[in-house]
Amino acid sequence: MNIRLYALSTCPYCRMTKRYLDEHGITYDHIEVDTLEGEEKQQAIDTVKELSGGTSFPVIVADGEVVVGFNKTRLAEILGL
Amino acid sequence: MSSDQRPVRRMFGEDTTIQDLKDHMGPFVAHLGYKFNTETEFVDEVLASEIEILDRDGDIYCPCRIRTGDPKEDLKIVCPCIPFFADQFAALGKCWCGLFILEGIEDGAALIGVIEEPEAGAEVDVPVCRLEDLPLGSARHVKIGKSDIAVVRVADEVFALSNLCRHAFAPLSDGFVDGYELVCPWHGWRYDVRSGTTDHPNADVRTYPAAVRDGVVFVSVVLGRAR
Repeated sequence: MNIRLYALSTCPYCRMTKRYLDEHGITYDHIEVDTLEGEEKQQAIDTVKELSGGTSFPVIVADGEVVVGFNKTRLAEILGL
Repeated sequence: MSSDQRPVRRMFGEDTTIQDLKDHMGPFVAHLGYKFNTETEFVDEVLASEIEILDRDGDIYCPCRIRTGDPKEDLKIVCPCIPFFADQFAALGKCWCGLFILEGIEDGAALIGVIEEPEAGAEVDVPVCRLEDLPLGSARHVKIGKSDIAVVRVADEVFALSNLCRHAFAPLSDGFVDGYELVCPWHGWRYDVRSGTTDHPNADVRTYPAAVRDGVVFVSVVLGRAR
């Protein structure tokens, strides 16, 4: 399963999500949006807005499903944990 | 000089602590009907993140949201962002990240983690101030989303109506209360706070259900979309 995590370096929910995915041995692409620069950063923000309709973090995309925040129930459901 | 070149000025001093932020925010979120989440470890983690952001960006921006670079937009995510999303947060029982929860919620643990925008269209009771902020026979301007509302206290009852006089758009809350009437400060037009009606033709204002619970004044509105 292709999983991508858009996160912020300062965000508690992002840390919780990473911890949760790591604990379950899930591999994922990790994009730390606030540490990017210039056009790359803007592109990532635009993608997050498009995916989630807002600018809240984290945003997890797993095979087309989008989860905003650290929503353990939905993550477990989507990832089959 | 572009905004990017301006030196960062800090809202708080170099040695700001988690306790300083609690002392700063606690009193005024209480007037908005909120308190810190009951999960103190989580609260400390969020506030520690805010101090990191303060060191980097100069102010305590929400740790769950990114600065867009548009100063007007970014002002909306300076913590606490409760006034910008008053109706959404009232429906969720918490702010986006759950740092603050409604005063009446005993256990905030279940409100940590999920960030979901509530569905528009439902009626929601929004806390607007404490009853002690609204002395007997007075009016106060409150804002929910884009709506300017006057809350009025008459005897043991509270009422809510549009804050804009239909005549010349004066702020009605600057007027005075006479019995059940709110009198416009500019030309003395009288609005019945129970019905929003006035003697002038086609100039009634809308009213909102209002109530007091545990010392907090609530106004009911139909939930809009997050701005």
